[in-house]
Amino acid sequence: MFVSLSDKALAQGDPLHITITKTGAKKDSVSLAGLRASGANGQLFVQTLKRDLELSGWFKLSSGNDGTINVVGALIETGSGIQSSCKVAWPGKSFNWTRTAASSTEVRQAAHALADEMVEQIKKEKGIASTRIVFINRRGSNNGDVYVCDADGGGMYQVTHDSAGVIGPQWGVNRNDLIYTSLKPGYPMLMRQTIGGGRKTLANFKGLNTGGAFSPEGRRIALILSYQGNAELYVLDLGTSKVARMTNTPLGAESSPCWSPDGRSIIYVSDTAKSPQLYVVDVESRVSKRLTLKGSQNVNPSWSSKGQICYATLRGGTFQIAMMNPAGDASSEIVPGQPEGCEDPSWALDGRHIICSARNTLYILDTLGDPAVRLINASGNWRSPDWSK
Amino acid sequence: MMKSRMMIANFALVCGLLGLGTGCSWFGGEDTPLNTPTEPTVVANPTDEGTGASLAGSRFEDTLKKVEGITLSPVYFAFDSYALAPSETAKIEQVAKHLIANASQVLVVEGHCDARGSAEYNLALGENRAQSIRTHLTNLGVDGNRIQTRSFGSEKPAMAGSGEAVWKMNRRGEFALYQK
Repeated sequence: MFVSLSDKALAQGDPLHITITKTGAKKDSVSLAGLRASGANGQLFVQTLKRDLELSGWFKLSSGNDGTINVVGALIETGSGIQSSCKVAWPGKSFNWTRTAASSTEVRQAAHALADEMVEQIKKEKGIASTRIVFINRRGSNNGDVYVCDADGGGMYQVTHDSAGVIGPQWGVNRNDLIYTSLKPGYPMLMRQTIGGGRKTLANFKGLNTGGAFSPEGRRIALILSYQGNAELYVLDLGTSKVARMTNTPLGAESSPCWSPDGRSIIYVSDTAKSPQLYVVDVESRVSKRLTLKGSQNVNPSWSSKGQICYATLRGGTFQIAMMNPAGDASSEIVPGQPEGCEDPSWALDGRHIICSARNTLYILDTLGDPAVRLINASGNWRSPDWSK
Repeated sequence: MMKSRMMIANFALVCGLLGLGTGCSWFGGEDTPLNTPTEPTVVANPTDEGTGASLAGSRFEDTLKKVEGITLSPVYFAFDSYALAPSETAKIEQVAKHLIANASQVLVVEGHCDARGSAEYNLALGENRAQSIRTHLTNLGVDGNRIQTRSFGSEKPAMAGSGEAVWKMNRRGEFALYQK
């Protein structure tokens, strides 16, 4: 099933489609039969909401009005937007929801907000429809740019226009704040950028400046610098403007730092044991411990709000996405239903879904067993996704 | 000894976060053999600082003219390694001889990786390849202040394609000379 995205995305020359093939995990049925929609924006709201509910993984759409959950109400066209007013009811419970949207972008945002509200109220889980994904389109040698899109693949927006090497984009303190490594100046420099706004140099030491990752509370950045001799992991405190070195590996290269949900630990990649493997450092004591022993390489860690760590593991000559708990990979599992060659995983806010790259495009994986969803069908070399919180 | 190391670390931090322009010279590798993680060091808030252009003044490639017409052979590396093979060190000796004979020139060593694996790890691996060459040059008597490094990870392959014949040409260190 192909669902076309917003007119805006199409007008920008990005004919994206998403393929919805979710069938695996247990779901509650939702009926939208009682939701009266007028005009193109009303239809856009309904289509966006349907897609969000399916992508949430918790719901299946019922074609009639026999859903366990019923959404009833009206979406009234108001100039360039809509006034939405509806009631969501399920056995023994309900909530009312109203929202004004003044543009097609706001219509989509309103639908995302309702989908998230349903996930949170009915399933007591965090909704992901309002979150965003940042990624790279790598066009060729030393030529790429940063893009963002909504969690359903719509609303795609090109953030940089550098046509230069770009590595490891990540979300900062909110859904408009990005940090990434740019090779545009002719060497790696860590940049911070507001979507649709300006950018600043965050670190430009001699040698390497990369791996920028904001701590959960947004006051610190884990980064990789080499000004003291080789690549090492540091923490920059933005409040006090202090830098602390976390590793001391004269014969090792560190990369890809990623914070624990409590901000006390950082998982990172180091090749001190010859091949790149995952380690965790306690920020207070600066003591590191190796986490991975399986697989010839283990890279690109991401730590979920629920405490699970996903990463790309190289086993049998192919990268795939595995997950483990913070104790290490003795009890690691391969995430089910993934296409071949998945790399660069990043957790969704719900701690259930994972965005990753494979075959030059992006896929959403479901750790509860739904089939993978291809997020982008447009041609390009889409890679290195990071999912906002 | 510890105190002088800390001062060097302080100065280098200020260079990185504040960008003191060309007044900020290179301190790295064997110049600052830090054996323990450094203590927190006070710097100004980097987010208050200006554009990349104003911060980048201390880089050779930003302030000096590139020397053209001199070919220095790339140094090649084994997979996932920044160790210098005996077959490659003669190339580095040639570079050292050139720098010692041409005191007005300085060098940027550029580290590269093949396309396989994590782009983020490759950026760090490329940096360590460049640093490994830089250390060898200083061991041969070249002043460390004359050598900077940069990594392109797997972003700038010398040869397109895949397979070991391509990959081995892309795991390399390259040399760029600049005129002071």
